[in-house]
Amino acid sequence: MIANTNSALARRISTTLSRNTLRLRVFSVLLSLAAMLAVFALTTTNFLTLQNLKVIAFNASLLTMVACGESIVVITRNLDVSVGSIIGFSGFITAMFAAAHPHAGPLIIVVAVGIGFVLGLVNGTIVAYGRVPSIVATLGTLSIFRGFTYIVGKGVELPSSYLPRWMTNGAEATVLGVPFVVLVALLVVLAMAFISRRFPIMRRVYAVGSNPGAAVFYGLRANRVVLFAYAACGALVGFAAFFYISRVGTISVILGHDWELMALASVVLGGVATTGGSGSIIGVLFGALMLSTIDNGLVLAHAQEYWRMFIQGFAIVGAIALDAGIERRIMAIFRNQRV
Amino acid sequence: MKDTFVGDLLKPKALGNPTAMRQTFAEYRWEFVIAVMLVLAAVWATTLSPYYLSLDQLLFSSRNLVFTGIMTLGLAFIILTGEMDLSLPSILAVCTVSLAKASQANLPLPVALAGITVIALMMSAFNGFLVAKLRLPALPVTLGTMGAYRGVAFIIGSNVGYTGFNNTYKWLGTATVGTSPLPVMLLVLVGCVAIFWVLMHYTTFGRRCFAIGNNSAAVTYSGINVARTKIGTYMLGGLTAAMGAWIFIGQFGSSRGDNANGVLLGMITAVVLGGVDINGGRGKVLGVLLSMLFIWTLRNGMGLANIAGPIEQLIIGVLLVTGVLVSNLTTRGNWRPRTRKKVIAGPSAP
Amino acid sequence: MTAEAERLSIRSVSKSFGPVRAVRNVSFSIEACTIHALVGENGAGKSTLVKMITGMLPPDSGEILLDGRVCKFFTPLDARRSGITAVYQDPKLFPHLDVSENIFMGFQPRNMFGLVTKRRMYTETERMLGELGVEIDPRALLAGRSVAEIQFVEIIRAMCADLRLLILDEPTASLTPAEADRLFAVANSVKQRGVSVLFISHRLDEVRRIADQVTVMRDGECIVTAPAADMTEADMVRHMVGRELTSFFVRRESRAAGAVKFEVKNLSLPGMFENVSMSVRAGEIVGLAGLVGAGRTEIAESIFGIRPPKSGTVVIGGVELKPSSPRQMLRKGVAYIPENRDDNGLIVELSIACNICLAVLDRLGPWGFIGRSSESRFAKPFADDFEIKTPSLDALAGSLSGGNRQKVVLAKWLGSEPKVFILDEPTHGIDVGTKSQVHQRVSKLAEAGYPVVLISSDLPEILAMSDRILVVASGRIVAEFSRAEATQEKVMMAASRSPLLVGAGEERP
Repeated sequence: MIANTNSALARRISTTLSRNTLRLRVFSVLLSLAAMLAVFALTTTNFLTLQNLKVIAFNASLLTMVACGESIVVITRNLDVSVGSIIGFSGFITAMFAAAHPHAGPLIIVVAVGIGFVLGLVNGTIVAYGRVPSIVATLGTLSIFRGFTYIVGKGVELPSSYLPRWMTNGAEATVLGVPFVVLVALLVVLAMAFISRRFPIMRRVYAVGSNPGAAVFYGLRANRVVLFAYAACGALVGFAAFFYISRVGTISVILGHDWELMALASVVLGGVATTGGSGSIIGVLFGALMLSTIDNGLVLAHAQEYWRMFIQGFAIVGAIALDAGIERRIMAIFRNQRV
Repeated sequence: MKDTFVGDLLKPKALGNPTAMRQTFAEYRWEFVIAVMLVLAAVWATTLSPYYLSLDQLLFSSRNLVFTGIMTLGLAFIILTGEMDLSLPSILAVCTVSLAKASQANLPLPVALAGITVIALMMSAFNGFLVAKLRLPALPVTLGTMGAYRGVAFIIGSNVGYTGFNNTYKWLGTATVGTSPLPVMLLVLVGCVAIFWVLMHYTTFGRRCFAIGNNSAAVTYSGINVARTKIGTYMLGGLTAAMGAWIFIGQFGSSRGDNANGVLLGMITAVVLGGVDINGGRGKVLGVLLSMLFIWTLRNGMGLANIAGPIEQLIIGVLLVTGVLVSNLTTRGNWRPRTRKKVIAGPSAP
Repeated sequence: MTAEAERLSIRSVSKSFGPVRAVRNVSFSIEACTIHALVGENGAGKSTLVKMITGMLPPDSGEILLDGRVCKFFTPLDARRSGITAVYQDPKLFPHLDVSENIFMGFQPRNMFGLVTKRRMYTETERMLGELGVEIDPRALLAGRSVAEIQFVEIIRAMCADLRLLILDEPTASLTPAEADRLFAVANSVKQRGVSVLFISHRLDEVRRIADQVTVMRDGECIVTAPAADMTEADMVRHMVGRELTSFFVRRESRAAGAVKFEVKNLSLPGMFENVSMSVRAGEIVGLAGLVGAGRTEIAESIFGIRPPKSGTVVIGGVELKPSSPRQMLRKGVAYIPENRDDNGLIVELSIACNICLAVLDRLGPWGFIGRSSESRFAKPFADDFEIKTPSLDALAGSLSGGNRQKVVLAKWLGSEPKVFILDEPTHGIDVGTKSQVHQRVSKLAEAGYPVVLISSDLPEILAMSDRILVVASGRIVAEFSRAEATQEKVMMAASRSPLLVGAGEERP
């Protein structure tokens, strides 16, 4: 193989670029977020009020927790579109449990997380061991879990008054003016960021997503890692479900509808590539914030709610296209081809 | 590590190549099983209610079969090439609400139809462009366009239904052949099945799709433009969505942003159960037809048994997952889905 | 040499794939703490042997001993655990992670809570890098590293796991001379740490520079094992190609060729090849010889439009044009039989008839309709002509042997009525009997007046078939031999020239 004589300089530039590309990506999300905040602040009234910012943060909190879970799966090069149904099933069961045992206290949270964990295991088994493509598998489980919710709930709707007082009150509580839920979400993000950097299992998650072939080659037990990813996602989603039911007015079978696109949009916007192996939790936080900001801005601008779906969808497409370009550049250099 | 093919491939497999000299039982194994399941489902439905076999009932419940069925045929082609399009129902919705707008503006029907055809072709071509030209992963990308197009449908159509279609618009969905109770749209469905059957098994386009689904690299090395064919399948899917939209408004007499929201699961299940390998390269239109009928019969029966919607979806979901699992199992006799080969000279996709 | 001093013993190992005997009764030993080179032409059996050492394939007979103990590896992981690691051109690393994590993935240093301690990981990495004299930032993302650095990372990763034998497969293929020097320094450091190195290379001057011992393989057999100091490059070439040219191959009668029918003018693709020109007459077979990685396949794929060239043109049938897509080049009459038969040449899951018709689908019927028997009707004459052994044309192509598969590919392209044939390693992996059949067909093509370009790493084949031989090295045509003057040694010497001698002073990727 031969090369141009000026390729040395070009290589150096391109290596620096690609080395920092992943970092640039998260930075660009932050920039976009800032830009969006600026745009909305200038064009709509009441945007920059403390009250409104609190609303954004509030809405973003739940989304962030779900998106954190989803991101683990996406990093392994898979997807989970059943998160909405996991919220539904976990939330519903937890609500019923809480209504029946109002003094169970933190056990209620355990129930929520546990159910989500189990559902995640189901997803993971089908994808990792059944070799079913992840969207097809989770599309199936989306309906299956939703069906389970119906079977258990028998179409009953639980008004939130059935829930123990401390749950519904806790949803509204603030600590030093900051909503409790927001603090929880921030804690989740920080914990996840720490875990994803220091826990060996999470490092294997990144490895499996980055080069599944090499992961198998080195005996990293890729199947188990994918199973873990789905289970962890389910657990986090279950945790979010607990807070979700504390907030929502009535708990019915359609709980959690339409979360699929939102979670994926936050993840993909936040710089987690669907091609796997890269992405930071902080980016996911920014992505969720961005999505909530858009939502909020649209409401304030009196735009129709349907723009949200359109924007989510388009954001996904755009982010995937951008990430695919980045990925190609990375892999090309990795394989020593022309960039 | 390279898999050794020779031993496995000597076992007869349903491959969808109609020029086989002997169309043995073994080649139609899968279709036979689905046909049996269809019969069983029909028997079960009959036991649930004496009304099942009545013509009125059947014709009424075919409402959901036709427009979904046509789109399923289009989706089968896309899956055959190894790709996927999750946004077809959303495209249909955009078409129905566009027809509503056209109807409001009192546009003549041919103009309206031409309009939605163009719209559907553009949207599906965009999908094809993203997947075939930009080489983006089809599943997440069409998940995105599914949402985007659904959003467009809502933006145009909002959540308030439009019911003021005049009769010419609704003709296809309501007309019957002469004085018989046979709806024209059933004939349309039959016609579509026939057309797609020919298209898939007796045209160069179909051959190319089979080849691409098995080994797109070898197809490129044979001088065939893979991207063009793939975009073609996507646009074909868009066409089926447009046709489905016309039938839809005739059948239901109304259009809204959430039209066809929830048929995607059934469509994919029908394709998978129909013997079309989820990774592409295998399948028969006959199988898709049989599994479409099977799912429809099942749904019918469940409706008669007063099984609630979510449970129906649950069962369909189970069918989908088991369908893929079984398909994986029978591909090589072991738990390995067929790997698709990538073009050597292209950018390295994961 | 006592048994204890032998790191790896290969005793009477053989491996066959059907009728093809890839490795025949090979025996040699690699001593402890040495750099042992394995040289041989493409197809000599080196890669099959290495696959058996690393546990990817089981030997048919014979045994492999590591440090005196018999090894039975079932997977590459077993081999790695026993201390045998191979570093290939295709890196098995994680591009999205940083260098130190790539080295330690799976066994990161942990603190008492079980959490990964990044600081220790970095210091450990720096220490190991320092020991081997390599300078890479352990915190840098692997994706931005150069090929040489990625190789070093793989080597260091291998060193972490009690390495006994390190196998380097063509490591200098994509390195600059300076990077190659660094690699040799690292190899020596590795050697000093008690690891034996098996160094597979075509670059004979490098072999002489760095290896302690050399084993030459030819046609699946081990010809000689000797200290590198005792062998000159000419000696090595002699062992590599010193076979009798038996009448295995159809010796083509050279005919007076016709007018120039196919030309390539100054084709260049930066990074792959540069200034490639050739002209082929009607009825002439031009052979492109060279080592693996010299760029011949890239040139062919560029002519066919799969990797369009940056500059340069191709002249076919009097028309000069720049290749841009396979579809275009197919239409213009280029027939390219690809190197990788099973992945790119034909589709094993489709029927034989379908495969033969793949390039001419548009012509099978009116308006794109293909009747029930259109394909078999079109394919039958070709299948008969080529004597493809099959009970029915509807059998899947995967049921055919390698030789018959190649016939299908040839038939497919013959059916497209091309103007020029480019064959890339057409008899690779085919048994001897069918090989000569394929040679006969290629001869017939030339006799029929087609210009033919034959790419082959099989020296006897290319010498027997070609009217002229162009030798490609490092992306350039470095020599041309007529049929009369070409010998195996001359071709091999021309092909093995190190990049240092070809265009000295140039930077390489």
